Amino acid sequence: MLLLLVPAAVLLAVVFVAPMLHYVWLSAHANSVLTGLVPIPNQGANWLRLVSDQRFWQDAGQTLRFTVVSVSLEVLLALAIALLLDQRWRGRGVARALTLIPWALPTTVMALGWRWIFNTPYGPLNQTASLLGVAPLNILSNPSITWMATVLADVWKTTPFAALILLAGLQTIPTDLYEALRLEGASQRTCFLRITLPLLKPYIALALLFRLAQAFGVFDLVQVMTGGGPASSTESLALYAYINAMRFLDFGYSATVMIGSFILLLLLCLISWSFLIRLQRRTGRV
Amino acid sequence: MKTLPVRRLLIVLLLSWSLGPLLWQLYTSFSTNEALITPFANIDHRWTLNHYKDVLTGNPPFWRYLINSLIVGTGSTILTLCIATPAAYAITRSRGTITNVAQTMLIVAALFPYVLLFLALLEVARSLHLGNHLLALTIPYAALSQPLAILLLSAAFRDLPIDLEDAARLEGLGLWSRLRWVLIPLIAPATASTAILVFLFAWNEYPIALTWLSDSSLLTLPVAMARIAGSSIYSVPYGAYAAATVLGSIPLIALVLIFQKSIVSGLTSGAVKG
Amino acid sequence: MSLKLNNLGRRIDGRWILRHLDLEIQNGECLALVGASGCGKSTTLRIIAGLDQADEGSITIDGTDVTSTAAVDRKVGMVFQSYALFPHLSVAANLELGLKVRGVAPSERQQRVRQVLQLVQLEERASQKPAQLSGGQRQRVALARALLRDPLVYLLDEPMSNLDAQLREELRPELRRLVLRDQKPVIYVTHDQHEAMAIADRIAVLKDGQIEQVANPIELYKHPASLYVAEFIGRPQINVLPPEQGVIKAIRPEALKLQAGGIACELLHREWLGASQIWQLDSRLGPLRMHVGSEQTVPESIQVSWAPEQEHRFNARSGKRLTA
Repeated sequence: MLLLLVPAAVLLAVVFVAPMLHYVWLSAHANSVLTGLVPIPNQGANWLRLVSDQRFWQDAGQTLRFTVVSVSLEVLLALAIALLLDQRWRGRGVARALTLIPWALPTTVMALGWRWIFNTPYGPLNQTASLLGVAPLNILSNPSITWMATVLADVWKTTPFAALILLAGLQTIPTDLYEALRLEGASQRTCFLRITLPLLKPYIALALLFRLAQAFGVFDLVQVMTGGGPASSTESLALYAYINAMRFLDFGYSATVMIGSFILLLLLCLISWSFLIRLQRRTGRV
Repeated sequence: MKTLPVRRLLIVLLLSWSLGPLLWQLYTSFSTNEALITPFANIDHRWTLNHYKDVLTGNPPFWRYLINSLIVGTGSTILTLCIATPAAYAITRSRGTITNVAQTMLIVAALFPYVLLFLALLEVARSLHLGNHLLALTIPYAALSQPLAILLLSAAFRDLPIDLEDAARLEGLGLWSRLRWVLIPLIAPATASTAILVFLFAWNEYPIALTWLSDSSLLTLPVAMARIAGSSIYSVPYGAYAAATVLGSIPLIALVLIFQKSIVSGLTSGAVKG
Repeated sequence: MSLKLNNLGRRIDGRWILRHLDLEIQNGECLALVGASGCGKSTTLRIIAGLDQADEGSITIDGTDVTSTAAVDRKVGMVFQSYALFPHLSVAANLELGLKVRGVAPSERQQRVRQVLQLVQLEERASQKPAQLSGGQRQRVALARALLRDPLVYLLDEPMSNLDAQLREELRPELRRLVLRDQKPVIYVTHDQHEAMAIADRIAVLKDGQIEQVANPIELYKHPASLYVAEFIGRPQINVLPPEQGVIKAIRPEALKLQAGGIACELLHREWLGASQIWQLDSRLGPLRMHVGSEQTVPESIQVSWAPEQEHRFNARSGKRLTA
């Protein structure tokens, strides 16, 4: 019986476990054009470099900012969408399918679409602005606001996924719970706070955790939409690792950046997990 | 029912938010460049099919990328299901600890930001000469899809009444016959939703395809689109690009509309049981 | 030629849920296995079928030890409580599947399926899916599947408990006729003592994984080996009097008589059964149930007694029957 597991286990080991072990090994070596792409042990120099690498920490900050802002926006928006799609109205099924479309399209495709929408001065946003007499905004070349554009594009693309998970959660809540509370004379607001939110919490946690991990590894969107610019202001850790490998051909350091990112992600997950658990305990008492 | 107008407004907002950017691409794809630059001016040549003509007669023509993505998507889906189905069955039928350990590991793997794997996978591709082979891409794709596929399929196996398999056993059906005639047909709905999710993943995957494929006639859709963008950072041919977006989106939109139920039930059962 | 269970035992998490089970069922005999839920009767059936493994003891069918034979090769015909029909296959395909994997030629398969469908009177349902059938029809398809298996043993696991009472009564003789047609041992598991009495040649009463008594229905009713059996068999339930000097007396409601000078009782409630009635009484010995004819009127003062030979006497500690 366990023989049936072998192909899947081998595949998973080769694609998930072996690469991580390989990175650990690679991060202990200099392996770049300078060494003629031959790995040479370098006594942790990669790691020393990482610790003092300003660009790495700046990217870490940017990735964190992107992750926190877009995931919180997504979950809030997803909750609203899920509540709307959970109600009964004609055409709900079609609306649900249409809402899913952004999630189903390749990230790269719409990343460029967004670039066009944010274009200065011809994109629809700036065209509208100029019609209203507002000076065009260089959205994609202003380091202090470009990241918000990437957040917007990410929220657009991934909210449907979170909304669907929350919708699944809403549908597990038996309606007689609401009816029972309504009979006690509770308002809709009370129903939401006392039934919907507490019972939905595991699903919110799930959506949060899933999206957290995915957003932290953001790559496609940034690479295509902004290329990490302007002035590396939107560069994510994954993109930095990619640039190190593919542009600077420094594989040893790229592997170090990846492990570094992975450790930061683990920390982020642990922190949010313990936060969620504390929240659960606090509200569990009512 | 005085809440209805509010709800209607919210629905309109939701749909314009979801579809607006796409509709803008649709508009762009049919607009001449002059019309795009001066949308409010009164010009004669506002509409055109030239963008589509450009895209479809390019070298290689655009449909080539669609076919490449179709090949990779289909191949990955088949490979994924062939490997995940027996594994899911084995996990469901083994005793407590194995199931729990496997389940936890699969959830962690499903959460893993796989972008971080591209460098190691690229080295594998180089040493085994797998680069520039469309079907070779199905191997990493099948691997990356395993966690989700196994979780969804094992949830489906677990939901089958145990009596059905016992009855098949007493009828003299061995493991293979049971899977072939009873169990796999019975989890068909879950298989369908898994298949669609895997297909979408493979169709849309970017970093691995980006690093494995360089031959321009072998690019998958996401890489080809990104290449158009990267070819000229300062002046992207937006009209042609929008036409490409529309053409590239049609199959996916059709897929979502047709298989909406399967997709929703796949994601949903993943959420409820995972 | 028979099915024999020798000292069968099954342990789960260190606890014996079945122990020291010895039974022999002859060809053409129907044995009912009864007991409360969780007493081990379904486990016994699953072990005989090979769907569960015994931790001790052995099973022989027609003298061949099958204890370690896989379920796939054991040749038992089983009818499940849930019927376990394959929902994606038509009735005919459900019946044919087993024949197909066992390598029976297509023409012979079709012929045998037709025959068995005739036998259970479902010929015109052959192309329908199980979901389109009524509960009774599904039950007959499940039975037909077991018949087609050419089994050495028939195992029926609560085959009628999903049917309504009237249908159960109609199907009972039919079911018995069909499974005993080819003279094989039949084990019929049920929690319903009435059904067991109606269908079985012998009844084995299980309690906490052990056999309390195996006997034919009359014997079981007349000479229950323990208080548990006495309480389990016969409805309305037997009256159990408070223990006196280590002895518990029990009297069937049918054995109570109205008699001046008997125990004074108060009538709490009358239940009409049609041909008879049950009186729920209260007395100094506790509540009593009495089975009386339907034309019996309630006297001014109720006094009841019984013949001493109608008394069942049990050891108060062990619950075992005391022989007078």
